[in-house]
Amino acid sequence: MFYSPGCAACEDRQSELRAAAQEAVGGIEWRNVNVLENMDAAVELGVITLPAILIDGEVVFTSLPTKAQLRKALTERSGARN
Amino acid sequence: MITIGKLAGLTSVSNDTLRYYEAEGLISPAGKSPAGYRLYGPDSARRIHFIKHAQQCGFTLAEIRELLDVRSSDKACCGDVRTRAIEKKLQIESKIRAMKAMSKALDQLISECANEKRPVEECTIIAALERANGSKRVQ
Repeated sequence: MFYSPGCAACEDRQSELRAAAQEAVGGIEWRNVNVLENMDAAVELGVITLPAILIDGEVVFTSLPTKAQLRKALTERSGARN
Repeated sequence: MITIGKLAGLTSVSNDTLRYYEAEGLISPAGKSPAGYRLYGPDSARRIHFIKHAQQCGFTLAEIRELLDVRSSDKACCGDVRTRAIEKKLQIESKIRAMKAMSKALDQLISECANEKRPVEECTIIAALERANGSKRVQ
């Protein structure tokens, strides 16, 4: 998840979304990325709004999703890969 | 209270632009004179300067309207504005990257067209742009 420091909503919801992701797909690696320290990577990956959630390097959510939306996106991708 | 002409003079913005800002919901007159002319309050010039500075930083009028709403909101904090500024920087950086790629593609086309005296039907730039698979190179 790309976030901007000081984003209260990101801090509040990050841990519950991370838990939902790990519940949906076992062994998933969740990374919080400070956009200010990784501006080039963010631009390279097409991040233009914050917070943004990427799955396998692709921007999937341009704002914070619900837990259900995140679970659905992850399980769909995990299913497609298997 | 000042007239639109006076406000335009104070802010170096034309009357037409001020009317456009009004149509876009960025400013509104505080009232009208007995003759029906728009009259603006003392905060208007400051608001116009805010709009101009935000435009210079790349914000669109719609985004500036949001910034003005945030500015006058009791619930908003600096972090809300900062996130918008970071998002704008991301958009600008993305555009710079795209434009650099365009510039590089043009460099290639220019270098391939070494003989400028050739007739236009033999122009390698025209030919490259017309090639169906040339889009890869131009991107």
